[in-house]
Amino acid sequence: MWLRRLATDRILRGRAAAPADLPLAIVGEIKNAHRLTALNDAAAALGLKVGTALADARAMYPGLAVEAADPAADRLLLGAIADWCDRFTPLVGLDPPDGIILDVTGCAHLFGGESDLCRDLMRRLAIQGFRSRVAVADTVGCASAVARYGTPAAVPSGGVREILLPLPLAALRIASDLVALLAEAGLRKIADVIALPRAPLAARFGAEFVRRLDQAFGREDEPITPRLPVPAYMAERRFADPIALEADVLGIIEHLGGELSRLLQARGEGARRLQVALFRADGKVHRIEVGTGEPVRDAARVRRLFAERLAAVGDACDPGFGFDVIRLSALATERLDPVQTGLARDSGEAELSHLVDRLSARFGERRVQRLIPQNTHIPELAVAAVPAQAKSARFESYAVEQDSLGPVRPIRLFEWPEAIEAIAAVPDGPPVRFRWRRVLHEVTAAEGPERIAMEWWRDDKGNALTRDYFRVESREGVRVWLYREGLYGREETQPRWFLHGLFA
Amino acid sequence: MVAYAELSLTTNFSFLRGASHPEELVAQAGALGLAGLGVADRNSVAGVVRAHSAAKAVGLKIAAGARLVFSDGTPDILAYPCDRAAWGRLTQLLTRGKRKAEKGDCILALGDLCDFVEGLSLIVAPPIRIDADKLAALLARLKQIAPRSVWLGASVLYRGDDERRLARLAEVARDAFTPLIATNDVLYHAPERRSLQDVITCVREHVTIEAAGRRLQANAERHLKGPEEMARLFRAIPGAVAETLRFFDRCRFSLDELKKTEYPNETRQGFATPQDALVAHAQEGARRRFPGGMIAKIREGLDKELAVTAELQYAPYFLTVHDIVAFARSQGILCQGRGSAANSVICYCLGITDVDPQKIDLLFERFVSAERREPPDIDVDFEHERREEVIQYIYKKYGRDHAGLAATVICYRGRSAIRDVGKAFGLSEDAVGALSGMLWGWSLDGVDEEDAGRAGLNPANPRLQRVLALAKALIGFPRHLSQHVGGFVITRSPLDAVVPIENAAMEDRTVIEWDKDDLNDLNILKVDVLGLGMLSCLRRSFDLLEAHYGVKRDLSIQDEERAVYAMIQRADTIGVFQIESRAQMSMLPRLRPKEFYDLVIEVAIVRPGPIQGDMVHPYLRRRQGLESVTYPSPELKAILHKTLGVPLFQEHAMRIAIVAAGFAPSEADRLRRAMATFKRVGTIDSFRNKFIEGMTSRGYARDFAERCFSQIEGFGEYGFPESHAASFANLVYASAWIKCRYPDVFACALLNSLPMGFYAAAQLVRDAEEHGVEIRPVDINFSTWDSLLEKGAPQWDRLSPRHASMRQGIRTGRAVRLGLRKVVGFKEDDGKRIEGVRGAGFDSIRDLWLRAGLSPSALERLAKADAFRSLGLSRRQALWVVRGLRRAGDKDDLPLLARAATPALEPDVALPQMRLGEEVVEDYRSLELSLKAHPVSFLRVDLERRGILRHENLAAIRSGRVVTVAGLVLVRQRPGSANGVIFMTLEDETGIANTIVWPPVFETFRPVVLGARLVSVTGRLQNEYGVIHVVADRIDDLTPLLRQLAAPADPVGPLVSTAAVMPKGRNFH
Repeated sequence: MWLRRLATDRILRGRAAAPADLPLAIVGEIKNAHRLTALNDAAAALGLKVGTALADARAMYPGLAVEAADPAADRLLLGAIADWCDRFTPLVGLDPPDGIILDVTGCAHLFGGESDLCRDLMRRLAIQGFRSRVAVADTVGCASAVARYGTPAAVPSGGVREILLPLPLAALRIASDLVALLAEAGLRKIADVIALPRAPLAARFGAEFVRRLDQAFGREDEPITPRLPVPAYMAERRFADPIALEADVLGIIEHLGGELSRLLQARGEGARRLQVALFRADGKVHRIEVGTGEPVRDAARVRRLFAERLAAVGDACDPGFGFDVIRLSALATERLDPVQTGLARDSGEAELSHLVDRLSARFGERRVQRLIPQNTHIPELAVAAVPAQAKSARFESYAVEQDSLGPVRPIRLFEWPEAIEAIAAVPDGPPVRFRWRRVLHEVTAAEGPERIAMEWWRDDKGNALTRDYFRVESREGVRVWLYREGLYGREETQPRWFLHGLFA
Repeated sequence: MVAYAELSLTTNFSFLRGASHPEELVAQAGALGLAGLGVADRNSVAGVVRAHSAAKAVGLKIAAGARLVFSDGTPDILAYPCDRAAWGRLTQLLTRGKRKAEKGDCILALGDLCDFVEGLSLIVAPPIRIDADKLAALLARLKQIAPRSVWLGASVLYRGDDERRLARLAEVARDAFTPLIATNDVLYHAPERRSLQDVITCVREHVTIEAAGRRLQANAERHLKGPEEMARLFRAIPGAVAETLRFFDRCRFSLDELKKTEYPNETRQGFATPQDALVAHAQEGARRRFPGGMIAKIREGLDKELAVTAELQYAPYFLTVHDIVAFARSQGILCQGRGSAANSVICYCLGITDVDPQKIDLLFERFVSAERREPPDIDVDFEHERREEVIQYIYKKYGRDHAGLAATVICYRGRSAIRDVGKAFGLSEDAVGALSGMLWGWSLDGVDEEDAGRAGLNPANPRLQRVLALAKALIGFPRHLSQHVGGFVITRSPLDAVVPIENAAMEDRTVIEWDKDDLNDLNILKVDVLGLGMLSCLRRSFDLLEAHYGVKRDLSIQDEERAVYAMIQRADTIGVFQIESRAQMSMLPRLRPKEFYDLVIEVAIVRPGPIQGDMVHPYLRRRQGLESVTYPSPELKAILHKTLGVPLFQEHAMRIAIVAAGFAPSEADRLRRAMATFKRVGTIDSFRNKFIEGMTSRGYARDFAERCFSQIEGFGEYGFPESHAASFANLVYASAWIKCRYPDVFACALLNSLPMGFYAAAQLVRDAEEHGVEIRPVDINFSTWDSLLEKGAPQWDRLSPRHASMRQGIRTGRAVRLGLRKVVGFKEDDGKRIEGVRGAGFDSIRDLWLRAGLSPSALERLAKADAFRSLGLSRRQALWVVRGLRRAGDKDDLPLLARAATPALEPDVALPQMRLGEEVVEDYRSLELSLKAHPVSFLRVDLERRGILRHENLAAIRSGRVVTVAGLVLVRQRPGSANGVIFMTLEDETGIANTIVWPPVFETFRPVVLGARLVSVTGRLQNEYGVIHVVADRIDDLTPLLRQLAAPADPVGPLVSTAAVMPKGRNFH
């Protein structure tokens, strides 16, 4: 099976309304140069070639759409397609970068014979947005050659030789430079070499070449390496009598959690995302997922998490006539090294994390948040709320650079700065007095200004005003953070004043 | 009235940190009324000269220094030298740091400063977060090594804690008995530059503007501020502002002190002074050059020149050049001088140039202007392959301590600017590519909104508009220093005590921090040691002439043969120096050069200056007698009489500025220099007004004035003064003579000098064949590494009818054997080895393998190049045999045993025969040319069916008819001066066709023009004076036809793209 436009199909099928007939090229970095690594049919029709430098392609077609190559994503996708092929045969092998090999010995008849199987496969792939060519033959080499260079079809048993002879040597799955070497000797088609003595061929073009030849013609066996099953952390329990009580379900989950825990422990991992699949006797399946803030493999904790979740889900998880299978699986895992247990162990950290997990399970992951510092000068953007469970190992924290005895930012920052009236010396003196919420405050001490210019690149109208912040203390002991918006003289003639936060 | 001098100034020569040009900062400082400006870039003095020159023009005082940035945690220190010696120590300090580091970097420790601190005034720039104890300790240490020379800097940067911070600094300063000094730590000249400074910060940090966050400055305060504002900011400690003047007064050093006193003495044995030596050498040379004695005019010229040289003390400089040239001569290296001072009687007598001063009128003013006191300028071209020997000689003679290569400042161009700004704004690779794709090559223009629209982006998008505007502002910003091609600075004091020296990208090369303009501004003399491919070719030609024909020739022979000019008039100039480009060739039949001076004009006229100034057509009309020769004024007649009243040379434009627009000579020179850099400075408008108003007020037509000015604009970077043109014209004549008389010698020498010029080997070979020269293929039994001449005779049957008139003049008597160097990828060592062991010849591939000990891959390349024909082996057979040799290939593997052990028992293998078309394709693949046939000839049937004409038939077709031609694309040329017109040269089996593609047609057929290797062009034929062009209406890509060459009826198709083997077509500007 040859997915002939895998890389571009991957991108185009992800786009809702992208017309597939627009030229698209994939660009990768080869030897420090940006080159086209894949094309869709429309781009190929323009005459572009894989290997062309992006700059050249661009000069020819300034409007050409390009995407960055992502071999890892392609590989993942190929694996996913291979998994999907499990429906046809358990023996599925990968032929990277864009081929899949199915051993359909003895199972083609289930799909109406080999020819129908080919057509069915191509049709189903086409529905999913993949352009493919599928061939069935006695040998892997032959099937691969026909899929890529011949007319995709089922090659009748014994017809290998006849179908291979007119195909180019590249069809033998040999490196392109070897193909070029052979071409220099005038050898282009399989027919050109099949009659030649083998020893001189092997001496000049290597044993690998002869082996490929033999494999294609079935003179040498070629096993298919099936895809390795993904290591699955899964525990399952089947019941003769379906169970329906929530307490029983939770009991089973804890039990399964114990089994899972042993599996995870053996590999030194913990679960970050768990799923319980509740298979109802009548065939309906409920799947309930919970996430955790840090890797977990404690069965009791797993139970508590699902207890919260089940309570939150409520009636949506209707047991009907009961569940006959319950399966607990770890969808995402992470390394979890055994923790050194000290004598005076401070479990505050773990307790907090557990609390976060439980609250998140109960109220939803997005509802439980924490604040992390942001890399910006703009005060109101300097912290961001993120789901508390999200791993945010990478956030930059900043040392305060200002020379100050107290905090340079208020304890409480208003979401909306409040307009105030203030009297201050021009151009950039601190306010002498200001009126906030109708109360007049006499300023006894002030420090500033701290001048913070707004982000000019976000401002479309070209009037981002600069702020001069002051820390001030009033006679009554009110300590506030306020600012004047607009530089006197340079930006504004009548700058406005705002109060942005409270110190203590 | 307060006075203030800003001492902490970062220009954009602190790459990707400063956001204003030195010129902008100086102008702003002048406008603000600052008392002075201290320029201190990060571990660099690269920008000080520009600031110095700009400041001189506005009468501002400048202190030149550097901001020392340490890698050991020491806070930055601004260092300003107070005298010449201290300057030397500063540059030596920087040199030490730079030599320790990678190119462009500098590693300094506080200890390094201690070694060179004498005479430097230091300002410690405290870090943002002050640690009073550490700072006090640093001040104490500095005061110890540099008593009374240490200041503590303080800046008000609006961080909220300024009062507290200033108080703390004042306290530290008081305790350390160190004066506090105010600075504003300036990054740009005006607050509006904040956005650009943010963008370059992003470029430096490789982040997008959204992600840059606190890496950017919080506000726009780091601009130049006036005295009042600084006094207000420092009202708490007023002494700090006044201190700037005290500090500034100590900085007595001026860059002007580096002037020509730095030039080495160049004393000569037996002479009291350099001037005496120069006079003696010149007189001796004069006797040799003018055996019959000089005519009076020349004699007077020489005397006058010598007098000026004496007055300005430039004798050592001429002696230096004389010495370098003498060395080259002694080594048999061909060379020729050019440049303003080169075409003087002195240089002719000293042998620096070979242009007979009697042939061109010398403009003495151009030689050395006593009034302007500008240094003489001599560039010397050497054979490009042997230039390194000359460079090494200079290093050896003066020592690496006293000689070094000048830098070239690499600036942002249109493409790089849009790329970096686009990246900082997070534009996709896509969009950035599309935007920069709108610019052709090295354009200095930005992308405008219209272009952006054409690139498929929404020009109304404010974000995009911002990107375009910032990119435009970034153009002209220096990005890094690179090595100048050959500008040598030679100094008397150690070079590193004049200017810092840093490592170049090339190993064992170092480069100074100043470029040639800077050196010029400081009157530091330099010699340009340049490489010129044509000189290599000419030396080879002269050698071959002497060896094969016993003819002795050199550059000084200007015999003005009519046959040579006849050839040039027919534009039969492929391979001839300078006049082989498309634009030049189309000019020749109209200009019809008859004598040496016509060549000088020809070389100068096809240049951006005259073209932009629209001077070419007036000159041609006058020359052809279609227009009467008139002069705009009598005073201009004196200047323009030799060029029929039309200004063509750079000095014409300058003289017009002086004589007709009333410029002072120094002003005219500034104008010329401003032109070269005008995108950078933007002062051009005032020059323009002054020039045009000056001329119109003196009674010249406004139209003429404007044309003169655009010509100066065009000269900018590509100006050609008459003396340059004359030196080049000399090479034109020399190379044309050889091509005319001995096309075999010419072809052989050119082939051995490639790559050079416009044409590839295939066209040179073809041109030689059309002149009756037999070219023989590469063969292991005959070829040496270089192509060579073999016994042979002219092949008159191959002489093209176009060149029939030359038959009497051609003296060819040899055939050219292509050398092994033509085999793609074949190494010179292997070639020499074959030459060495060949003896009576090789009788088999095994024989060659065993005797020459070549690697299998080398043998393979020879087989692919079809070099075994003399053994009776076809390309394919040879390759089969080579591949069958024992692949181990080690020499130990070779002895007798191996010979016996590999039996010839292999069964015979019948390989398919190669078709001729395939052979040609393979020839192109491994030799880039084919002697067997032209690729297009195989397609002729097909082409004829499409109604496509042979190129040889075009001459017979009258102008205006619509024709279709087809051929391989050899060259696409888009001269900057031709409004975006593209010249595309096509080649078929009968010759060359030239097509013109106008921009609208180009836009329609863009992919074909740029990507196709074989095209057909349909359009109207233009024949003017025998110059034939097809003006394209329609262009079709025929590249797929090339497949037929390799495999006409093969269902499988060629395995390796045939088209890829064919020349891709070279792009020129």
